[in-house]
Amino acid sequence: MKQTGMQVRWLVPFGSIAALLAPAAYATQYLSVKQAQHAAFPQATEFRSIEAPANIAATVGAPAGWSPRVFEVRNGDTSLGWLIVDQVIGKSELIGYALALDAHGVVISVEVLDYRESHGGEIRLAPWRRQFVGKTAADPLALSQEIKNISGATLSCRHLTEGVQRLLKLYNAALRPGRA
Amino acid sequence: MSAVRRARIALGTLVEMRVEGLSEHDATRALDAAFAEVLAVHRLMSFHAPDSDLARLHAAMPGEAVSVDARTFSVLVMAQDVAAVSHGVFDVSVGAQLVGRGLLPQPRSPFQPDATATWRDIELLVGDRVRLQRPLWIDLGGIAKGFAVDRAVDTLARNGATHATVNAGGDMRIHGARAEPIFLRIGSGGVPRLPALELANAAIATSAREADAAIRPHLHGRTRKCVNGDVAVSVIAARCVVADALTKVVLASDAAASARVLAKFGAEASVFDPAHGLIRLGRAA
Repeated sequence: MKQTGMQVRWLVPFGSIAALLAPAAYATQYLSVKQAQHAAFPQATEFRSIEAPANIAATVGAPAGWSPRVFEVRNGDTSLGWLIVDQVIGKSELIGYALALDAHGVVISVEVLDYRESHGGEIRLAPWRRQFVGKTAADPLALSQEIKNISGATLSCRHLTEGVQRLLKLYNAALRPGRA
Repeated sequence: MSAVRRARIALGTLVEMRVEGLSEHDATRALDAAFAEVLAVHRLMSFHAPDSDLARLHAAMPGEAVSVDARTFSVLVMAQDVAAVSHGVFDVSVGAQLVGRGLLPQPRSPFQPDATATWRDIELLVGDRVRLQRPLWIDLGGIAKGFAVDRAVDTLARNGATHATVNAGGDMRIHGARAEPIFLRIGSGGVPRLPALELANAAIATSAREADAAIRPHLHGRTRKCVNGDVAVSVIAARCVVADALTKVVLASDAAASARVLAKFGAEASVFDPAHGLIRLGRAA
């Protein structure tokens, strides 16, 4: 493989502190819901939006008002599976993601749709979060800055793992064929 | 043809990839292959998974030669190289101490590790075989993530990407001659507004300060004490496996020793401490 020389150019003067610490709110967008649908189910002809049962939040132990978007995926009369779009909120990050399940409830993929981070405390404020409700990754976000390459402390993915567990509970309680 | 980006959870972190120079169809295929490669590295080198190369090694009796995947072998070769150059400051035989601290689960193993075993007791044999001369447990947590990033970049390049970046929770490599801005997450306040540097055809890994986030501590290979302190270290190298491993060496070493090891691997580092700001160590070869 062709290897060309490594290039390094520092932009922050050595000895500086402030420039390295002033935090930004930022957002990264990977896939729209539509792109995620077609990435997980390239052969699908229909993504039918279905209502999760009204009491689903309590059933799976999620906070009241939790309402993931559920799509039943079909190719003609054949059910291919489900795509469920949800968000998880960490201490200072908000991650939108899509879980794709096949017709037997087996995980096909978990794709991150968008990632937002803010250390100003906004993430815990309802109005800050509300601005994203119903938005897709195609919508512009005025508030945040696009930051591409971040080297540094690994953010915990615990929230996302818990989110996926919650969606699997939702599947078992409300979507699985032949459920009690 | 625009850039195509994807992010998935792998290696216990958010892994983000971006490719340019490919149609969306080809980009998606290349990204799928690169993510599959990252997951393969994780599966092979996991301390937890019962069927990983490490698990099989730990399940064998000391003295027995165990065949491993070529990728696991090449990470071990690199790890032993860094261990030799750093005089054992970097040492992947710290598994027992990490288990003892509750940071790793107890592996299924017919032996109890010898607390005095070191990297010198790991023997690498022809034909991708590994033999433990004394009972010990290997942890590749300080190097495998960087290797996975390299494998992903190689996969994207092999699939025709002219420009690509792979970032596994902060261990990152830029493939391509166009320089990209890099932001350093080193303070507890998150990501700064301005990039700290620009990189092309290079990798960077950052070990954060102890106070930041719930990170896994790194152990000094000789003292087996935690080396995370009040400083953050970024290492820049051509390959991410080198950058990843050397952050632990720089964290655990003084400036002179760090500079010597960095020079040996054609790497450079910056150390951030809240009192003095950014300090530069070593020079790229």
